[in-house]
Amino acid sequence: MVVTSQGNHATPVKPRPGEPGAVATTATSPGKGPTRKTRRPAATRSAAARRRDLPVALLLILPAVVGFATFYAYPTLRGIYLSFTDFHVLTPPQWVGLANFRELFGDDVFWHSLLVTVYFVLLSVGFGTAISLVTAVVLHRVTRSSVLRGVILLPFLISNVIAALVWQWMLDPTLGIVNIALKHLTGHSILFFGSGGWAIPSLAAISVWKWMGYYALLIFAGLQTIPSTIYEAGRVDGASEAQMFRRLTVPLLRPILVMVVVLTVINSFQVFDIVQVTTEGGPANASNVLQMYIYRKAFRQFDFGYAATMSLALFALLIAVTFTQLRLARANESDLN
Amino acid sequence: MRVRKAVAMGAALTLTALVSACSSGSSSSSGSSTLNWWTWDDKQAAAYKVCATDFEKANPGVNVKITQYNVVDYFTKLTAGFVAGKAPDAFQNSVQFFPEYADQHQLLPLDDYIKKDKFDLSRFSVGVDSWKYTDGHQYGLPLDWAATGLYYNTGMLTKAGYTAKDVQSLNWNPDNGGTIGKMIAHLTVDTKGRRGDEPGFDKANIKTYGFGQLAAKDFLGQSTWSSFVSTTGWRLGNKANWPTQLNYNDPRLVKTMDWIRTLVAKGYAPKIGTFTNTVSDVDLLSSGKVAMETGGSWTASTFAKIPDIKVGIAPTVLGADNKTRAVFSNSNGNTIWAGTKNPDLAWKWVSYMGSEACQTKASATGTFFPSIPASMDASAKVLKAQGVDLTVFTDMLKNKELYPSPDFRNGAALQDAIEPLIEGYFAGQKSDSVFADMQSKTKSILTQK
Repeated sequence: MVVTSQGNHATPVKPRPGEPGAVATTATSPGKGPTRKTRRPAATRSAAARRRDLPVALLLILPAVVGFATFYAYPTLRGIYLSFTDFHVLTPPQWVGLANFRELFGDDVFWHSLLVTVYFVLLSVGFGTAISLVTAVVLHRVTRSSVLRGVILLPFLISNVIAALVWQWMLDPTLGIVNIALKHLTGHSILFFGSGGWAIPSLAAISVWKWMGYYALLIFAGLQTIPSTIYEAGRVDGASEAQMFRRLTVPLLRPILVMVVVLTVINSFQVFDIVQVTTEGGPANASNVLQMYIYRKAFRQFDFGYAATMSLALFALLIAVTFTQLRLARANESDLN
Repeated sequence: MRVRKAVAMGAALTLTALVSACSSGSSSSSGSSTLNWWTWDDKQAAAYKVCATDFEKANPGVNVKITQYNVVDYFTKLTAGFVAGKAPDAFQNSVQFFPEYADQHQLLPLDDYIKKDKFDLSRFSVGVDSWKYTDGHQYGLPLDWAATGLYYNTGMLTKAGYTAKDVQSLNWNPDNGGTIGKMIAHLTVDTKGRRGDEPGFDKANIKTYGFGQLAAKDFLGQSTWSSFVSTTGWRLGNKANWPTQLNYNDPRLVKTMDWIRTLVAKGYAPKIGTFTNTVSDVDLLSSGKVAMETGGSWTASTFAKIPDIKVGIAPTVLGADNKTRAVFSNSNGNTIWAGTKNPDLAWKWVSYMGSEACQTKASATGTFFPSIPASMDASAKVLKAQGVDLTVFTDMLKNKELYPSPDFRNGAALQDAIEPLIEGYFAGQKSDSVFADMQSKTKSILTQK
């Protein structure tokens, strides 16, 4: 703990690593000392008490465990099982071993879809994080208006399908307001969803627009945990606003930013509804993201076995990506302490 | 207290509603039985209510419940019904999903019933064979038939100096487009009012395209290129039914596709993607963006209702020999779920729907073309009185210019594999070599178990 209160004359206690109360105790003023003593006996009693609490505890977590088992564990396991079968819903699944995985490696459309999805993820994570960060910092440094903060969040409150439908109308090549404006300004219109080059950037833009407010709010909350004394110190040292943003705000925000990036990555990998509403994977598979391809295989072609295999691949991929991200970014450490 | 009572009552009511909703699925407990029939067409759902009433009168204690789900969800809902054991007793079915359902034993073979009732299948002029599966069983009765025709804006046609007679016998060939090629060029108008075949025509700023969306992703080409290429003798499958490959690499089709690309390049027809997929044929003609287009017979009465624009109907083009006309036609079918609790009653209803009495009454609404000729004549007469002339389509039937769409397996997989390639071709990302690729894809999908 760097910051201690002015009235604290006692020698600061060095927090012992691993002790749960460490942060709280060092931050409290000497007047509240007894809290620490009262905790001790509770800890010695706990072994017996815990044993007596066990049935109640089990009872209390039962609903959550049942829910988890029914809605998460069982479907996951069954999904893994189905990925090794030929399954068409109406007839029982047939074990085919690794046939689906062999098909996966030879499936051009799958690898193309993976690339398309990664492209979408890169665009929405890159632009999404950058725009949310700037928005949050501007909100934090410039305005105190809670109305404005609410307005930023508005797109997040709209359902994905509605947002996609409205954007589809606005970007329509002949009737859309955006293209009418473009036609007046530049003389020609853009097929935002109708051309291979524009489809994914257009979808990423909708996604960024939709989620920007939510992530900005998360970052905004992170900004409020940075003590103002740090900025005071920075100002005393003669740092400009831009320098403080780069050298103070961003490093201190790292845990929050990592969380935002991880969330956007997971979120973007699962993009489906806006694609289904606008391009349906077209034109010529240009926006055929993985979820779209999986959906079509399963619910249109009834090839549930192969769809489960692809879902499993996506699952493994997401775990790997998230794990690496968390590792690289040291998300559970903060520079604030 | 009062609030709590109200909440309790609300909960009780919801519960009873739920319970009764659940129990309404099962039937035939107390003398009266409910027969569920599903369709994806809201207009047909309304049209067949007439038959349902008559059927209920003839069979006391029977209650026919007609339910409609949008075609987008229809087959998913149906599949979920099969799995959950809650599928309708009988339902409207499409040839695209017929093989999958028959393969997985979800459809009741009708042969025994047909034999027992001496039900005469020859009463249907089209569609019977589409509902016969590879195992030799008849799984469905044809409910309707559909063809395509040329729809045009009569005002624009007159302005361009043509009469309704000129469009009745247009010819076409893939090399120079024939008489319809010339007409399409002349019907195209740019924003400055210059026609497609006039000097100074600006193809970048089109006010009205001479022809509708020919460059579309549709893999069957039913309401786009099929009626053109079919005049050359080309057919979609290498066999009339259950083909092992589709003839996309046939030089006749490749040449037709090239002709469409040149048409688009000249500005006479819209580029792929110019109109989003929510824009219908009716929208295109009624907005004045398009002067003429190929459209389904099922839209004839909708076209007639467009305000302020008079739409004319002409038969599709003739071939280079000036006499060959060939139009792709499909028939939806009426099938019975193998898991129904009342197979006899379901057959009774399905066979009643396939009778002249029911077809004549239901088709008077003009929402579908019945497969029974006498009913078709009656329907055409009623619509004529309302100002919709269906002679173009009934003549195709009489002159045997229709050929049925082939039945094939894995239709959805085929569609998902082929359409992106067609889109790529029309978007200019792929060359003519894509057609060989398409044909080999159809081979591997159609022969897949």
